[in-house]
Amino acid sequence: MAPALEDELRQVVGSSHVLSRPEELLVYEADGLTHHSATPRAVVLPADKTEVVQIVKRCRAHGVPFVPRGAGTGLSGGALALDGGVVIECARMNRILRIDPEDRIAVVQPGVVNADLSKRVAPHGLFYAPDPSSQQACTLGGNVAENSGGPHTLKYGTTTNHVLALELVLPDGKLVQLGSATGMTVGYDLVGAVVGSEGTLGVVTEATMRLSPIPERVETLLGIFGEVVSACRAVGRMIRSGLVPAALEIVDRRTIEAVEASVYAAGLPTDAGAVLIVEVDGPAPAVARQVERVREHCVAEGADQVQVARDEAERQRFWRARKGAFGAMGRLAPDLYVHDAVVPRRKLPEILESICEIGDRHGLRLSNVFHAGDGNLHPNISFDRRDADEMARVLAAGEEILRTCVEAGGVISGEHGIGTEKRDFMGLLYSEADLEAMKKLRAAFDPTLVCNPGKLFPTTRFCVEANPKARGYDQVPLG
Amino acid sequence: MSAAADVGSLAEGLRRELGAPAVEEIELDLEGARLGLRIAPGPGGALGAALRLLGEAATPALVRGGGTRSAFGHPVPRARVLLETRALLPPTVVDDEDGIAYLPAGAALCDLREHVRKVSEGRWEIPLDPPGDSSTLGGCLAAAAAGPLHAAPRDAVLGLDVTLASGEPTRCGGRVVKNVAGYDLAKLYVGSLGTLGVIEGAWLRLQPAPEAREVWWAPVDDPRQALAAARAASTRVAAWLSREVAAELGAELGENRAGPALLVELAGDAPAVEAEARAWAGRAGAQRLEQGDPMAWLRARQGRPRGLRVRVASLASALAEVARILEEHGAQVLAYPARGELHADVDFSPGVSGDATVERILRGARLAARAGQGDFVVEDAPLAIREVREMFGDPEPRLALFRALKAQYDPRGILNPGRQAGRV
Ligand SMILES: Cc1cc2nc3c(=O)[nH]c(=O)nc-3n(C[C@H](O)[C@H](O)[C@H](O)COP(=O)(O)OP(=O)(O)OC[C@H]3O[C@@H](n4cnc5c(N)ncnc54)[C@H](O)[C@@H]3O)c2cc1C
Ligand SMILES: Cc1cc2nc3c(=O)[nH]c(=O)nc-3n(C[C@H](O)[C@H](O)[C@H](O)COP(=O)(O)OP(=O)(O)OC[C@H]3O[C@@H](n4cnc5c(N)ncnc54)[C@H](O)[C@@H]3O)c2cc1C
Repeated sequence: MAPALEDELRQVVGSSHVLSRPEELLVYEADGLTHHSATPRAVVLPADKTEVVQIVKRCRAHGVPFVPRGAGTGLSGGALALDGGVVIECARMNRILRIDPEDRIAVVQPGVVNADLSKRVAPHGLFYAPDPSSQQACTLGGNVAENSGGPHTLKYGTTTNHVLALELVLPDGKLVQLGSATGMTVGYDLVGAVVGSEGTLGVVTEATMRLSPIPERVETLLGIFGEVVSACRAVGRMIRSGLVPAALEIVDRRTIEAVEASVYAAGLPTDAGAVLIVEVDGPAPAVARQVERVREHCVAEGADQVQVARDEAERQRFWRARKGAFGAMGRLAPDLYVHDAVVPRRKLPEILESICEIGDRHGLRLSNVFHAGDGNLHPNISFDRRDADEMARVLAAGEEILRTCVEAGGVISGEHGIGTEKRDFMGLLYSEADLEAMKKLRAAFDPTLVCNPGKLFPTTRFCVEANPKARGYDQVPLG
Repeated sequence: MSAAADVGSLAEGLRRELGAPAVEEIELDLEGARLGLRIAPGPGGALGAALRLLGEAATPALVRGGGTRSAFGHPVPRARVLLETRALLPPTVVDDEDGIAYLPAGAALCDLREHVRKVSEGRWEIPLDPPGDSSTLGGCLAAAAAGPLHAAPRDAVLGLDVTLASGEPTRCGGRVVKNVAGYDLAKLYVGSLGTLGVIEGAWLRLQPAPEAREVWWAPVDDPRQALAAARAASTRVAAWLSREVAAELGAELGENRAGPALLVELAGDAPAVEAEARAWAGRAGAQRLEQGDPMAWLRARQGRPRGLRVRVASLASALAEVARILEEHGAQVLAYPARGELHADVDFSPGVSGDATVERILRGARLAARAGQGDFVVEDAPLAIREVREMFGDPEPRLALFRALKAQYDPRGILNPGRQAGRV
């Protein structure tokens, strides 16, 4: 980095909050997608928004790009500093600034860890609904940028449904307030545009979040199925019937085996084809009815067993199989590729079969644990990136999986975003004109492309091949 | 020169592209504009071709759906062409297994509602219920029009087909219920008042029809006191009515209501609705409304032109104060406490009511929005007022971004120029 810039940044945040030695930069070379990496020029840790404004202005003046970063748990390479950029790491901006129980809002800095917000507001009978599986580590700033979801997205929506207002440092260093604490939008819905923009439209320095009341009653069921496709069919039945559980998650046989062999063991039968975790919540009389309906749907699709958690300990046990899955998989191989794609829910059974076939054909250890109620698949591939041949097969299988999902009317990401990982697959979904329309939004916020460049859009090598079946449009031809 | 002569050469080109029946020469003064042409392009290529020609001729259009809200936003004096969306009718898809639908922007929502109900045998509903019976899907989304049942049209949209001002057809989002592939442009188009592109069709997430439904009302002094009932899990709609509004509903139902009231619709699973209803039955002065459809009445009331209407957003804790301020400034108030939304209206007839009435309600709205830590928009006002006053609270802090967006999506300013906040 130009020493002048480094010195200026030290003046802004203090010497101890600028990292530039190679060993300090090592952890910033990648996020959770370990096989993509890039070394930043420096990492700056601002204490507040005024420092962020200064950092952005200095970077701009030196023509150096910058990248906001939360906890680095992202799974699409979004927080990598390409082109020798500066990482603006928000970890020190981790205060909950205001909690208003009657108004059901919280104002937070971007570095607040997701789970901490729910913990803090629980005494008021409230919680923050979006619950990514990484919620013990990931930050709300990262959640806003990725529009993160979680198991309870089915009923409660993703991050975008829970962000009322944002404070943003624009790529030119100006500070703007978007939206209002009441959630009202006047003029264009800029909050809606910024949520999910993967840190390319500015640095979020404050966010006003909607809090939800903790439901009166929660029941968790575990359906044990001989085949994963039967579990998928049970999900289809529930959706069709208009039932909206809080969560509908499937864990397949290969994942159960990994979990049961690990410290996360939940006492699941390792000969089961899949387990379906269903959570229903709401007013007590409605929940009791829903439990019965869920049971009926599971039985109708041939569930071997349907258990209802008898107490909190058992409920936690059911969830352990789901939440411990990624950790358990870590034992199988040095690396884990967590894929992310969405398909129409009624296509889950056939797509899941195709995905397993793809994994087998490429000789890979592929398992599935996913948000079935949203049609959001997570095929997980355990591998060793030092094995070049295996790495090549992982990438080939990944691409095939994405193509299969798109062919079925699905999309290439439900919650992890595009980042560097999938930028070259955007053309599977979108035409040149669709992508140009997105670039217009980018240009309105960041005409000089200094904020998190190199993400989300296809590189020039790539040519668009928008599939007519993408997103179901074979049924609705374009003019 | 007549308005039609003004656009004469453009008309020829448009006839060639769209066919003669889709192009009509008119002389119409609407929204401060002298319109000389009415066009009604079909979906896909036709709309694109029309917009390209408008762009080449640098001739702005006023986009109109059902026309129920032609007066929402600032006037569009530069428009010369009326672009009707009624022919934007791409084929409909209702996937009742997945609870989603692709619906055409040019169709009237009341027809689409009926279509979805029929195809799904009453199991699914479109979660949009704007006031105005002839509202089109496109108009409802472009105006982000909320109704009593559904507050946030943005939450219903999974994907959109939008033809940009350049004439380029584009798509964003998709049909699946979860999607973070690229920017969420649908959020930008919803509520953009037709200033960034023309919506042709939308993938919507449907909502299961509730199993049971009951309507109750009870005397409640202010909207903050109504909050607990409004937030109960089985409450789908909770509307607080100021004294005059409650009296209006009372008259409609043949009931006598002397003071402010809370009107709620309980909806959802039958056991939960029954339990909630039992709680209502024990409330002092509460009464179940079994006659008529009070929700439809609410929707219709919101759609009835009164001359002057503002919508104010407030935090829950400030609801009572905000309602008080609005009433003090002469407005009748209808509030949705659970969503912090207040509608304030006064009867206003241009030429009869004076400027002081306007000043008073605008002042009230500004004070109320400040007290509620929210914002406000003027939803209905006579043309003369909309010509000179800002209709969208205080857009100033975000104006540079609004302008940059308009410059990117509609550089020649051919789609409703000036209509949006800050006259963008
Ligand atoms: C085990 C595991 C499980 C996961 N489960 C889920 C899940 O269930 N659901 C889900 O949605 N995701 C999941 N993820 C992905 C990841 O946790 C989320 O994407 C999360 O939101 C990232 O947050 P972060 O703080 O780690 O952000 P980072 O990884 O640091 O950054 C992610 C993106 O956000 C941007 N960003 C960060 N902070 C800001 C800011 N202040 N302003 C603007 N942009 C910013 C970055 O530039 C980058 O583009 C999982 C990840 C792991 C490792
Ligand atoms: C008197 C009255 C009061 C109302 N009050 C309220 C209220 O208080 N709150 C509320 O939320 N709603 C209110 N509405 C809402 C109204 O129902 C909606 O705005 C309606 O859905 C508009 O539909 P439309 O087809 O009539 O659109 P139009 O009135 O024709 O158009 C509305 C806006 O959308 C644009 N537009 C129309 N179609 C498209 C398209 N396909 N693509 C892009 N842009 C398009 C138009 O240019 C215009 O700016 C009221 C309506 C009436 C009649």
